[in-house]
Amino acid sequence: MRMAPETPAGDLRLANLTKRFGVFTAVDDLSLTIGQGSFFALLGASGCGKTTTLRTIAGLEEPTSGQVLLGDREITRLRPYKRPVNTVFQSYALFPHLNIFENVAFGLRRRGIRSVDDEVTRMLSLVQLDGYGNRRPAQLSGGQQQRVALARALINRPQVLLLDEPLGALDLKLRRQMQIELKRIQTEVGITFVHVTHDQEEAMTMADTVAVMNAGRIEQLGAPADIYELPATAFVANFLGQSNLLAGEATGASGGDVAVTAHGARFAVPASRSRAEHGPVHLGVRPEKLILVGSADQVPAGHQHVTGVVTDASYVGVSTQYLLRTGWGTELSVFAANSGTSARVAVGSEAVAYWDPQHAFLLPRDAADTDRTSPVLDEPVGASS
Amino acid sequence: MTLLAPTGSGRPPPAPPAARSGRRGLLPYLLLLPGAAWLFVFFGVPLAQLAAASLYDPSGSLATGYAMTWAFSNYPDVVQAYWPQFLRSFGYAGLALVLALLLGYPLAYAIAQKAGRWKNLLLVCVVAPMFTSFLVRTLAWKTILSDNGALVGLLRDVHLLAPDGRLLATPFAVVLGLTYNFLPFLVLPLYASLERLDPRLLEAATDLYASGAQAFRRVTLPLSMPGLVAGTLLFFIPASGDYINAELLGTPNEYMIGNVIDSAFLVRLDYPQGAALSFLLMAAILAVVFGYLRRAGTEEVL
Amino acid sequence: MRTPLRPLSRRGLLSGTLGSAALLTMGGSLAGCGTKGAQQTEAGCVSEDLSGTEKKLAFSNWPQYMDVDEKDESKRPSLDEFITKTGIQVTYTEDINDNNEFFGKVQNQLAACQSTDRDLIVLTDWMAARMIRLGWIQKLDPAKIPNVQANLLPSLINRPFDTENRISIPWQSGLAGLAYNGNVTKELRTVDELLTRPDLKGKVTALSEMRDTMGLLLGSNGHDPANFTPAQFDDALNKLKKAVDSGQIRKFTGNDYAPDLAKGDIAACIGWSGDIIQLSGEDEKVRFVAPDSGVMLYSDNMMVPNKATHRANAEQLINYYYEPAVAAKLAAYVNYICPVKGAQAEMEKIDPELAANPLIFPDEALLSKSKVFMALDEKQEKEYEGKFQQVIGA
Repeated sequence: MRMAPETPAGDLRLANLTKRFGVFTAVDDLSLTIGQGSFFALLGASGCGKTTTLRTIAGLEEPTSGQVLLGDREITRLRPYKRPVNTVFQSYALFPHLNIFENVAFGLRRRGIRSVDDEVTRMLSLVQLDGYGNRRPAQLSGGQQQRVALARALINRPQVLLLDEPLGALDLKLRRQMQIELKRIQTEVGITFVHVTHDQEEAMTMADTVAVMNAGRIEQLGAPADIYELPATAFVANFLGQSNLLAGEATGASGGDVAVTAHGARFAVPASRSRAEHGPVHLGVRPEKLILVGSADQVPAGHQHVTGVVTDASYVGVSTQYLLRTGWGTELSVFAANSGTSARVAVGSEAVAYWDPQHAFLLPRDAADTDRTSPVLDEPVGASS
Repeated sequence: MTLLAPTGSGRPPPAPPAARSGRRGLLPYLLLLPGAAWLFVFFGVPLAQLAAASLYDPSGSLATGYAMTWAFSNYPDVVQAYWPQFLRSFGYAGLALVLALLLGYPLAYAIAQKAGRWKNLLLVCVVAPMFTSFLVRTLAWKTILSDNGALVGLLRDVHLLAPDGRLLATPFAVVLGLTYNFLPFLVLPLYASLERLDPRLLEAATDLYASGAQAFRRVTLPLSMPGLVAGTLLFFIPASGDYINAELLGTPNEYMIGNVIDSAFLVRLDYPQGAALSFLLMAAILAVVFGYLRRAGTEEVL
Repeated sequence: MRTPLRPLSRRGLLSGTLGSAALLTMGGSLAGCGTKGAQQTEAGCVSEDLSGTEKKLAFSNWPQYMDVDEKDESKRPSLDEFITKTGIQVTYTEDINDNNEFFGKVQNQLAACQSTDRDLIVLTDWMAARMIRLGWIQKLDPAKIPNVQANLLPSLINRPFDTENRISIPWQSGLAGLAYNGNVTKELRTVDELLTRPDLKGKVTALSEMRDTMGLLLGSNGHDPANFTPAQFDDALNKLKKAVDSGQIRKFTGNDYAPDLAKGDIAACIGWSGDIIQLSGEDEKVRFVAPDSGVMLYSDNMMVPNKATHRANAEQLINYYYEPAVAAKLAAYVNYICPVKGAQAEMEKIDPELAANPLIFPDEALLSKSKVFMALDEKQEKEYEGKFQQVIGA
């Protein structure tokens, strides 16, 4: 009963999935469709319910309510060993008493397949561990163990491969390497990958589709660039990279633009980039989309700007990161690329930050919410944590 | 080394390594000396004495003394006279071991993996009986299994036991006593092994198409092997040499080889026979143990 | 997970060989001497008597074998009276719990003719016989123990291992006979009934003490336990073996049969009169039976081991306890057969009911039925004991 790779797997669907542990709701009425053959990332902070979701798909956790469907087949109550789903565990969970060969062959043998040699050899070579078959897991480095865990799951040609923070224990360089490797393997085998991570950069580099989870719900789902460029909520705007969010009031759309009043100034955001047209909103601009100039007359036409005083400048090589204190006391974060085209601005000097309205976005806001900027200079977009 | 030494400091060069390693090489052996001396005096010498006694002239006596006649015939003699007790010893101990495994493995597993905050309490419960004397515990079983006791009465009422049937003074009672008395020796090493078992490995196994039974057979069992081997040995060795259970809970028809040795040394004063029996028991146990270890093949134990 | 056995390295082989060689050498050196005989002779192992200058006596006895004051258990009236009377300081120790165990305790010293630090010990007949045979016991002076000569019960005179009554003097005696619990079975009269009656199957115990069990069986075959042939012994042993094989006899016991008999776990047994008197006191349906074919009379005997340095003091104590009045006082407490003539008359004054108890003061009829087991030399003892142990399973 070996599952042939060409078997049409169908999409993985979660329907109104809820999982409660006592009074704590880990997954809250989650519905999601993951396309066959896609590389899907569940991104969120720890405790957001992403691992519970994954374990529910694997069958290691039974949902309180809701369904898990694979194609047309419901697998919600199926025992884990009866699901065409395999997992790469965060801890790898390699069997210490078996050598690498037997670890990789484990799934095949449990399904009663006798001749496993060719398949295991092929799989070890796929993860570039040729000749390691006789070693014990303890004799391998973290990266090698990770690849064994991957091979051990992949050899079963599951319809869905679940990866639970598989790179979390690796150092930066190895992690990068493995990200590329995983992506390559996924392209090669064409299996649906569901990857759980708290590392937004990892999610963005690898996944076709990213779902940002918060408190058991999905905040936003989409292609990485789409989510980054046009976040749906303040949480996403700040979880995925950094954003300067100015509290304002939208006063309605006119002529393709939504007008916003914030801190006594008027701004406009294209309606296509607005998720609210009336009432309290956050006007958001990414720090790298802000350009710093000495005075308002240097702002090109059609751009919008804010004036303030530079309170901090950190030179980090590829860019210089500035903090600009606005007239109403909020500090905005500005990244200026060190492309050599603009002069550096001194701390204490007055400056003007401007942006193209096409780069701004408008998010609905709780009336009580004020400005939310993320002047966390040590974690800019593009650098790894 | 000399290249790295500061030049012109006037300090002598470090001592040649050979001399140092010579002194170092001797130290571990010196440290071994007290232990080795202990073993020699309290194990080696008595063992040699016992070996010698087993070859004494069987016609010697306490009054006239025993002459060393290299009477190897003592061995076939005692085998001929007491082979039923030998077989019985290993039979009962083996049976008790099987029972103890059936009881002890789930117990150790439950304590190690499922007991949560009750773990320490349960461990104390396993060990607590050891605080009372072996004899007292066995005598307590005598009361429990008594012909006119509640247990036998109940079993008779539900017709599991004939109206004149009994539990005490049967092989059942002896095997039960052995199982009970040596159970902690099996459970504790097993517990130590199972406690280290990572439950995530079992999740991984079920994720990789192993049913509950397969996960146990392929992951839990092999990983608990060191504890299992140590536990079975700690159980089997004293159980096969035991004589208290057969003495108190059995009848002469249940006597084990320990009872024979006890009587040879203390009642019959037949020292050559007692010594030969002791040596045979030791040899038989060693043979069983080595056979078992070869099969179980755990480098962790040896 | 099988791992191939590592090939034996040359070093391993070498150390193994050396180790075995060392053991063999050790064995060899022991082989040279074997063990020396434990036999001592009067001429070879002479004991000094310091009684003239030292008013001391070290007395080892069994637990609960000496009268104690009803109010203060640490006081022993009869012994205290002896101390007051003679001025001999008696160190009384209850350190004998088992004949074999005690033998093991003193064996090495006595075999090497060394002091055991005890002046007076109390051991059962067969063990006394063994020690006497080994030459480990001092002879007493008959002139110093006139009460023994005058008052020793006739049945206890001329016992096979001490025909002159000057080596081992009975402290207390007892009978080995049959006993049954009337709550679970009907009356029992003979040894054959015990060994064959179907309603007793699996509910019978016998004593692991060869002389008591085999003595009763020999008697039941019409043979004399005090004088039998090997063939007669084998006959009796066969009878016993049948009862063991058929499952009639449940087990062989020491003192531990008493609670089982009281509970009814065993219905009938070969037991000791002293135990049964105590059980009868609590439940009168537990009865002692002296079969017509004979009962075994055994004694625990006072003896002075070699190298004990206060023999004369010990003789004084022995003589003292053979005064009828003192003997009655002791018998009233310990409930065994009193070996002292005339104590019965004294007992009338203390407790008439006890005085009438045939298990403390046996009548002529009972005494005529009682036998003392034949004295065995070491070879016989080993042979008979070996055969007996095989039948009783050890």
